[in-house]
Amino acid sequence: MSALAHRIVEESTAAGFAGPAGARRRAAAAALGSVGLPTSRDENWKYASLRPLERQNFTPAPRGVTITAAVLPAPITGFARYVFVDGHFAPALSAAPGAGFAALAAAETPPAAAAAVGGDARFALLNAAFAQDGAQLKLGRGENARAEVVFVAASEAAVGASYPRLEIELAEGAQLELIERHLGAGEVAAFVNSALTVQLDRGAQLRHTRLQDLPARALSFDTLSAELHDGSAYRLLGVATGAQSARSTLLARLAGEGAGIDMALAALGEAAQVQDAYARIEHVARNTRTEQLFRGIAADRARVAFNGKVVVDAGAAGTDSRQSLRGLLAGSQAEIDVRPQLEIYTDDVRCSHGATAGKLDDAMLFYLLSRGLEPATAQRLLKWAFLADAFARIEIPDLRRQIEARLAGALHDGALKELL
Amino acid sequence: MENMKNPDTALLRIENLHAKVAGKEILNGLSLTVERGEVHAIMGPNGSGKSTLASVLAGRPGYEVTQGRVSFEGRDLLSLPPEERARAGLFLGFQYPVEIPGVNNVYLLKAALNAQRKTRGLPEVDAFEFLTLVREKMKLMRMEDSFLSRGVNEGFSGGEKKRNEILQMLVLEPQLAILDETDSGLDIDALKIVAAGVNSLRSPERACVLVTHYQRLLDYIVPDQVHVLIRGRIVKSGDKSLALELERRGYDWVAGAAA
Ligand SMILES: Nc1ncnc2c1ncn2[C@@H]1O[C@H](COP(=O)(O)OP(=O)(O)OP(=O)(O)O)[C@@H](O)[C@H]1O
Ligand SMILES: [Mg+2]
Repeated sequence: MSALAHRIVEESTAAGFAGPAGARRRAAAAALGSVGLPTSRDENWKYASLRPLERQNFTPAPRGVTITAAVLPAPITGFARYVFVDGHFAPALSAAPGAGFAALAAAETPPAAAAAVGGDARFALLNAAFAQDGAQLKLGRGENARAEVVFVAASEAAVGASYPRLEIELAEGAQLELIERHLGAGEVAAFVNSALTVQLDRGAQLRHTRLQDLPARALSFDTLSAELHDGSAYRLLGVATGAQSARSTLLARLAGEGAGIDMALAALGEAAQVQDAYARIEHVARNTRTEQLFRGIAADRARVAFNGKVVVDAGAAGTDSRQSLRGLLAGSQAEIDVRPQLEIYTDDVRCSHGATAGKLDDAMLFYLLSRGLEPATAQRLLKWAFLADAFARIEIPDLRRQIEARLAGALHDGALKELL
Repeated sequence: MENMKNPDTALLRIENLHAKVAGKEILNGLSLTVERGEVHAIMGPNGSGKSTLASVLAGRPGYEVTQGRVSFEGRDLLSLPPEERARAGLFLGFQYPVEIPGVNNVYLLKAALNAQRKTRGLPEVDAFEFLTLVREKMKLMRMEDSFLSRGVNEGFSGGEKKRNEILQMLVLEPQLAILDETDSGLDIDALKIVAAGVNSLRSPERACVLVTHYQRLLDYIVPDQVHVLIRGRIVKSGDKSLALELERRGYDWVAGAAA
């Protein structure tokens, strides 16, 4: 066992988790202990920033840290809001609760299903070993709901880690529109390790927007595992702008005939940020669909990477998979790496992929300057334009306004738009 | 005294300009003076350096000025970055306007206008007044409203791109417009529309430099002077009749006379 793995097991024991849940947590820690956390030598983990883990304190941040409501973004019309602070449910900050939500106390947190999804889900094991409250959104047959889950990191990593946990289960024909946010209360150097599971039953539909906007010194790891049954549809938009270093691991199994996933991811790195994402989509059943779009911008000395792997099993005839991955280098010391990967075990498939990495177009930039725009404004406009394909998918007007205001800054021109 | 010369009243004064592109000398001792209120036409064979001149004046990167000077309203133009040249009132209508998908046409117009207003110490333009102004200019250019919300030049036809350039010019009201082959690719009606647009901006304060291959444009926008640019310098200047003569006789006779 590596020194790091050893320490994780020790910290989990020292936390003294009680009862059967405690036993399961220790089991998760032990499982992690035997496989160890990934290192940069592991395939799929080359770009993640794993070094800081060696100094990391894994013990969960204490309950009861208070934050002001001002930390939270403006509410989204029509959405229930559930707020968690350092992984602890904060009912006082939550609003307009709706159907299907439960805050699972630590003792009820179910054991990790992570082992099932292989070595890339090791951070989900870490979450299972330490998570406090979990959010559960469980919709029955034909139900529908709109919910926003806000995870606020409020403690310095030295004080304790934050383990957001969200479980989504949609029964047959249920529909959920979900906004998931990760942000900080002030400029804390937090350690955030999130785990999400998604279960979509026959014909269920999930629209999911996740916004990672953690403070500039935060370290973030997240693991999303989704299982899609017959005819279910999962539409995911991820926007990663925050953290010093963030790694997203997305694992989806298209297990039922006709299931489809449509994921668009945007990642922005500036200064010395690291934005790394890995997606593995496995087509198990017939006539399943993947649509995947990645748009990443690396400015200054940032490193932005996306590795999109699509696996088509022997039984997945009629698979249709499209990947469009693009990176934009906006700094002479920035680094970008976009990589589509295909593994196909059947003949009857339609798979296409395109991957490009380029720079801001000089001719476009000059055109904007020649109209009198500041270089910084011109660059921001072109970056926003580069992301347009991904953001075209935001259908919630309040959310679109917030994202535009965050990313396009002064160019967000609501007054003009409303007059058009 | 020697250093008490009258201030330069010319809007644009180019003296002995030499410029290189990719290590190759393209402008080769070019001089030209444009006074306020004037319209100048520059004609010349393909590859003679007309667009290079326009690019150097607008400050496009990659063009190295090796000799000479350019003053604009008495200021040293070449020392300014492109955006400041634009805000000082210089406008370049591109020979090949670039498409910028995802950047809204109307956002660009407003950002450009506000950048200019800021330099002049004016507040940002009110959204409603701005749209009223733009719609009025669009009417003049016979452009539909839908062009506003499209990406800059995105999917525009050749002629639509040129009209969009003129629309921008009309909104920005520059002191000096350099229009690089704005007439190329325009149908007969569009040519008249563009000419009307340019003429609507003519004033005793402003000036315009038209780069063109066709004397037909000059029937609609009557120039004060016509220049022939060959191998990076102006080899002959005259009045409107020079354009007619070039149309009849081609460039060889000027080139021959200049050699
Ligand atoms: N980036 C470049 N690298 C090499 N040569 C260049 C470059 N840009 C321009 N040139 C050359 O400079 C010369 C002048 O080009 P310019 O575009 O100024 O001509 P022009 O007079 O505008 O021609 P046209 O009437 O065809 O528009 C041409 O020979 C052209 O090939
Ligand atoms: Mg030219």
